[in-house]
Formats: sequence, C-alpha cells, structure tokens
Amino acid sequence: MAESTVSISESSTSPFALFTLLGKAGNRFFGTLGGYGNVVWWMLRNARDARTYSRNIFQQMVQIGVDSIPIVIFVSTFVGMVTAVQSAYQLYDWIPRNVVGSLVIKSVLLELTPLLTALVLAGKVGATITAELGTMRVTEQIDALEALAFDPISFLITPRVLAGVVMFPVLIVFGDVVAAIGGLLGSVFVANISPEAFINGMKDSFEVYDAVFGIIKATMFGFMITSIACYQGFHVEGGSEGVGKATMNTVVLTCLAVVVMDFVLASVLL
Amino acid sequence: MIRLENIWKQFSGKQVLRGVSFDVRDKETLVVLGKSGGGKSVLLKMIIGLIKPDSGAIVVDGKDVTKMSYPELRALRFKFGFLFQGAALFDSMTVGENIALSLRRHTGYSNEEITERIEYALSIVGLENVTRVMPSSLSGGMKKRVGLARAIALTPRYVLYDEPTTGLDMETADGINLLINDLRTLLGVTSIVVTHDIHSAFVVGDRFAILDQGVTLMTGTREEIQNSDNEEVRKYINSAIG
Repeated sequence: MAESTVSISESSTSPFALFTLLGKAGNRFFGTLGGYGNVVWWMLRNARDARTYSRNIFQQMVQIGVDSIPIVIFVSTFVGMVTAVQSAYQLYDWIPRNVVGSLVIKSVLLELTPLLTALVLAGKVGATITAELGTMRVTEQIDALEALAFDPISFLITPRVLAGVVMFPVLIVFGDVVAAIGGLLGSVFVANISPEAFINGMKDSFEVYDAVFGIIKATMFGFMITSIACYQGFHVEGGSEGVGKATMNTVVLTCLAVVVMDFVLASVLL
Repeated sequence: MIRLENIWKQFSGKQVLRGVSFDVRDKETLVVLGKSGGGKSVLLKMIIGLIKPDSGAIVVDGKDVTKMSYPELRALRFKFGFLFQGAALFDSMTVGENIALSLRRHTGYSNEEITERIEYALSIVGLENVTRVMPSSLSGGMKKRVGLARAIALTPRYVLYDEPTTGLDMETADGINLLINDLRTLLGVTSIVVTHDIHSAFVVGDRFAILDQGVTLMTGTREEIQNSDNEEVRKYINSAIG
C-alpha cells in the first residue's frame, strides 16, 4: 500500500505534478541557502579562533593568489588589447584618438578586469577548492578532523575565504595594470594610435574612485567564490561522482553569483 | 563506560538502525559484527557525536552525547581515538604532521616534546623512519598503522576501530589484530571494533554485539554467541565463518 501511495503522489501525469516539482526545487533552494548561511555564520562566529586557521592562511594565499598570476596576466593582456582595438574601430574618424585611452581605462577599471578575472578565477580557484574539500569529505578526512576535536569550518573554510578576500583585490589591481599595458600595445600596434595620445586619454579619464570600485567588487567576488566553493565541497555526498557534480555546481553557481553581484554593486555604488 | 540505548536512525527515508542497544565495559574490547551497509560505522560516528541519532541515547561516562553542546562534544572527543576505515590520513601532510596536528593544537608541548610523542606513537604501531613520508607513498597496512598512531597521540581512553582489517591481505590483517590487542595491554584502553570479518573479531574481541536488519540480535562472549539457540545468530555465525 505504501509503495502505491508514493508512486501516485509523485506521478508526473498528475495536473499538480508541476507544484510538486516546484515544491521540491524550492525546498532544495532554501535548504541550500540556509546551509550556506549557516556555514558563513559559523565562520564569522568562530573568527576569534585564530589559532585554528592562521596556520593555513599563508598557504592558501599562495594557492589562490600567487598561483593565479599567470592566468590573470594572460586574460588581462587580451582584455586590454581587445578593448583598445574595438574602441578604435567603433570610434574611427568620429572623435579624437585619445578617447580610446579614456575608454580603455574606464572599461578596464570599472568592469572588464574585475568581471572577467572573477569569472576565470571562479573556474580555477572555485573548482580547486571544491574538489579539494570534496575529496577530503568522501575520504573521511573531514570526519577525522572533527574526531581530533578540530572545528573543520575554522580549519578548512575560514583560511580559504580570508585568502580569497585578501588576494582577489590584489589580483584585480594587478590585472588592471596589465590590461592598461595591453590596451597600449593594442592601440599602438593594431589601431595605429600614438602612445602619447593613448596615455593622455588614460590620464584625462582616470579617477581614483573607479579603481576603488573595482577593489570593492574584487573583495565581494573573492568572498562569494571562495565561500560558495567551500560550502559545495564541504557538503559533497556520494563519492567521486559527488565531487564531480559539486565541482560543476561551484563553477555554475559562482559565475551566476558574480554577474548578479556585479549588477547589484554597479546599481548601488555608481 | 559507554552505553547505547534504543538507537534509531534513517537516511533518505531508509531506516538503517531500529533500536540498537548495547554497552561497553571499561577496558574491554567489544566487537560489533554485522553485514556491510548495516549501520555499524554510523554507530561509531554517533558515539563521538559526528552523526546524531533520530532517537535514543548514547551515554559516555554518565553523560548523554545526543544532548551535548558543541563545546561539550569537542571536549568529549579528547577521550577518543578513531581509526577510520580508509585511515583518513590528511593527504596534504606528511606522516609526522598528521600525528603532530592535534598535539600542536590541543597541548602546550614544545617542538621537541611533539617530536618525541610522534616517535613514541609510531613505535607503538611498529613504524619508524616514516615521519617525513607522504601518506600516498604508504601501503594500506602502513596507512592503518599511521592512522592508529594519530588516534592514540593524545592518549585517549577509548579507541574506536572502523573496519580495521578491511582491504588488507591476511598477514597484514593479522598484524593489525595483534596491534589492537597490544594497544589494550599497553595503554589500557576500552575499544569498540566494527567489522564484518569474524576471524578478526574472534582474535581481538572480549564480547560481541551482532547487528542484523538494524537491531541487536545478541550481545555476549564468544562462547555465548557460538552456543546461542537464537536461529538468526546461528545463521549469521555460520554464514560469516563460511
């Protein structure tokens, strides 16, 4: 009897099946949101327990920050070059050439470097963190930490999130500089704009607040990417298949979180 | 003393434990026998508060683990050493760092004292010159030994063994069984061993609890379970001995 009741209530041919599905999806969404909130709250609540997490912060800063420098250089160089070349193409003969420099510095500081770098790091850093913690979960290393009377959130998650919050702004400021150089190279060698015109355009339009805005964005992106990745890895279920699924979820969720946060910050701070 | 009273637990709608009860006396080794997937490992994790039962009580030294706050649970875990099924060594750390981790965090030992404790713990499990080795370079049996050295580094009162001989060849498994007996003699610990390997169980156990379909079929000494009139117990023993 019980089995038939279950199959009727879950029948996809029922006119109410959509509500059942929505209910399940809603449950899962709010369950995940609540679980994520709990982890962040626990992390903040135990922030005083520096003895547990301080040991791992430096190692995580190297892994998240220093190890990401090559990919940031690569992406930022091309971001700068493409912005310069496309700006020159769109403004051809209409307005003075130094405007290209202005456009590049504005676009790079406000939007392109923070957003594109964050999307690339969502893949690199986010996936690495989830795979690492997920593997620790399925091989019972996180249980072992708890059995040794450690708080696994303070030991594993706090140093990663702190390292992300510190290193993302550093990477993005570095990326801004590289993108500006890339813009100069693209302008000079592809769009035939003199270096002086490009640099004067950049100087005319540079505002400190633009750079500060980029740093605020980077800090938020660093927090979102590392905390979501940690949450996903920490709650992996179902062996190596679960690790793969959680890693994919991290990449998708962090990319979505980054673009939504990008819009929210632009709306509030600009 | 550890006492489990009427423990119930379900996962994703599947009832795994349906009222398990047994007790573990001081300084004895109790072996929990049962088929794979029967919730034996879950019981061990419940004893140190890693998993909470849906109902029932787990009393350790007079205090109910299921009602403990997080700080109380952390304090309780100092009394326990836990050998996980796959050893669960931290693979980003060397053998020495694995053992030193809890010593550095929870004791005021100097570096020299920690080094001495590491060497002592490794000598008890019969290993030497492996402190700088990464866990990935160790064999299955050596991993279990290092896991055991890590578990006893803080000189626990209770040691929990989750399938200590699973995945090991017979000779290595015999070595681990002897080690479990040696630890009890050397350190005077109370132990719970979860296994489906009845041959190992008879080597290390003083008393036995047999789980089947989520309930305790019987608890008793080797003689008591071997001479039991309970049909289910006889069936389990015969199938386990093969």
